[in-house]
Amino acid sequence: MRFLDLKVNDAYTNMATDEALTKARGEGKSPDTLRFYRWNPSAVTLGYFQSVEDEVDLVAMKRYGVDLNRRISGGGAVLNSAEGEITYSIIMDENDPRISSDPTESYRYLCHGIIEGLGILGIEAEFKPINDIIVGPRKISGNAQIRRYGAVLHHGTILVDFDAKQMFSVLKISDEKISDKLIQQAEERVTTIRKVLDRQVSFEEVRAAMEKGFAKALGVELECGDLSEYEKELVAHYREKYASREWRFRR
Amino acid sequence: MKRFEYKVPGGKLLCAKVKTEDKNISFIQFTGDFFLLPETDLEDLENQLIGAITDEDMIQKKIVDFFNDRATVIAGAKPEDFAYVLNNALK
Repeated sequence: MRFLDLKVNDAYTNMATDEALTKARGEGKSPDTLRFYRWNPSAVTLGYFQSVEDEVDLVAMKRYGVDLNRRISGGGAVLNSAEGEITYSIIMDENDPRISSDPTESYRYLCHGIIEGLGILGIEAEFKPINDIIVGPRKISGNAQIRRYGAVLHHGTILVDFDAKQMFSVLKISDEKISDKLIQQAEERVTTIRKVLDRQVSFEEVRAAMEKGFAKALGVELECGDLSEYEKELVAHYREKYASREWRFRR
Repeated sequence: MKRFEYKVPGGKLLCAKVKTEDKNISFIQFTGDFFLLPETDLEDLENQLIGAITDEDMIQKKIVDFFNDRATVIAGAKPEDFAYVLNNALK
């Protein structure tokens, strides 16, 4: 499996890259790929079906210099912070026999690399359907999947550190949303690698553990690669969509 | 614009925003953190609901039949939940 190692981009390039890889994989022009990335500037990424006005405080985002971004996949809003997070994506053939047509099972399978990677760091984590990875009662990773162009795109976050004040200034959390949650206090529902291990874990340490974790979970050898010329063209094409107001404010 | 928000127990958040004209739906948008594949099915459903009469049973049937016919894959909510939030938003 091709491995695109950790790179830092803005939100729109990051989303365009995931879609470009999905399109090229579906066309048979790209191999299966694992990609790691970070964000600069930080961004709030909305799920495909989420409403801007319900989910974010645009004034607070402007104050913090956080971009508004929308992804191609469903699920909930996340703060992809420049300093606290690694994001990953896996792009595979839709008909790959390892990927179940049942959503819970395909999430469980593709999330397993994170659980293995966290295990290497000494953190015991588990998959919680539909799309979360938790340590004890707290979420450490959120994930989302789509099937398009004949390929599967699975992407998710790995929380390394977090600024609760920033996160809960930019994200709105309604009372209805947390009505069935056991932990009502927003700051207490998520955790991070640094919090669990209670030390300054570097991005490099997390990156290396996740690389090993995915190789083991997927049973593959990861070969470092780069985007092809065709994929770069697609990234430039899709980036315009993701940066457009029309896309970001569509709901 | 009327809205109704509902957290599906053990599932995801679902919200309906709706406008009506003479007991017909003139605008409808479902939002939330659910998963739905293919994504375009939701826009198709919304388009099909434009002009629909705001009758609770008819809306329920229209939505459930739509998702069943399309075999839409939804995670974090059921077709009935979409009907539930829309009917409540219309009240």
